[in-house]
Amino acid sequence: MAEKFDHLEEHLEKFVENIRQLGIIVSDFQPSSQAGLNQKLNFIVTGLQDIDKCRQQLHDITVPLEVFEYIDQGRNPQLYTKECLERALAKNEQVKGKIDTMKKFKSLLIQELSKVFPEDMAKYWSIWGEDHPPS
Amino acid sequence: MKVINARHRDSAGAEGTMENFTALFGAQADPPPPPTALGFGAGKPPPPPPPPPGGGPGPAPPPTAASAPSGADKSAAGCGPFYLMRELPGSTELTGSTNLITHYNLEHAYNKFCGKKVKEKLSNFLPDLPGMIDLPGSHDNSSLRSLIEKPPILGGSFNPITGTMLAGFRLHTGPLPEQCRLMHIQPPKKKNKQKHKQSRTQDPVPPETPSDSDHKKKKKKKEEDPERKRKKKEKKKKKNRHSPDHPGVGSSQASSSSSLR
Repeated sequence: MAEKFDHLEEHLEKFVENIRQLGIIVSDFQPSSQAGLNQKLNFIVTGLQDIDKCRQQLHDITVPLEVFEYIDQGRNPQLYTKECLERALAKNEQVKGKIDTMKKFKSLLIQELSKVFPEDMAKYWSIWGEDHPPS
Repeated sequence: MKVINARHRDSAGAEGTMENFTALFGAQADPPPPPTALGFGAGKPPPPPPPPPGGGPGPAPPPTAASAPSGADKSAAGCGPFYLMRELPGSTELTGSTNLITHYNLEHAYNKFCGKKVKEKLSNFLPDLPGMIDLPGSHDNSSLRSLIEKPPILGGSFNPITGTMLAGFRLHTGPLPEQCRLMHIQPPKKKNKQKHKQSRTQDPVPPETPSDSDHKKKKKKKEEDPERKRKKKEKKKKKNRHSPDHPGVGSSQASSSSSLR
């Protein structure tokens, strides 16, 4: 899977370098530069063809739209990954806290109900029997 | 947690509490009188008990005083005080109580992104990309969002440019106007002062384009002008303080002379 990303990255780097060199030629154009300009223009077309071929290998890759917002703002897209991981960890801790609190509440409730309503709780345990989930 | 019940004082009081508890949820000991006893005629047969929600999986519970039918019909056992009891939802192995980052083997990624400080700018992620990429895409209409919302209309394939088409790319000789010069502008890179000082003495200064040198000279002049003004003001203030006409100086001399007397 990393290979197809490497191929695409390589083609994109070559394409960007080609465009940069084209910009240098155009910034101070000379008559002798015409042949080089024509060559660079054809390299642009072949570069786009190569990038288009890479598209078929990456049709199953999905990118979240939020990453594009980071790029449009000029921010590092790795910050999106970092914030996703932080948010996942925070939510994980929050849910774990809720589960632990509910477990404690259940055990405490059963304990107190057994003190106040012993007969009903005996019926309760007899109904659940072995099906009662571990607290 | 305390279940507050004012009547629950002792065992005798507990029995009374139980009666009230069972009375709240309906008692099997005292079934309602049949409608015939009340003179309304033959009543309808009692409705059948509700079916179990989950189909009653699991082993059959022991027969209770409430005569629960065979099978795990726990909801039917709610003829007593537990008529609201239902089957619990199926338990899953993966819940929020487990550390999902270790479960999905993301520890390395977490340490990589959250352990170290990730730089803010896009140019730190793509250092080799030319141009001013740290600016928002809305400034020069180069945002990815606009590309997704309004995709460009493409032909079908990329065809090479023929000779006659290349005739349209014949350019005039000479440099581009300053408005169009964008490719050479790079975001400013921070350098250590010590290294920068060393490089000044050792490395030769790279040749500057005339437009860049004029721009730098103008900046230097602008920076020097306010500094010159400040220095002049400070000099004037110092001169005024030491002059005999200044009220502050004169008063201080007068006070010193009066003290000597």
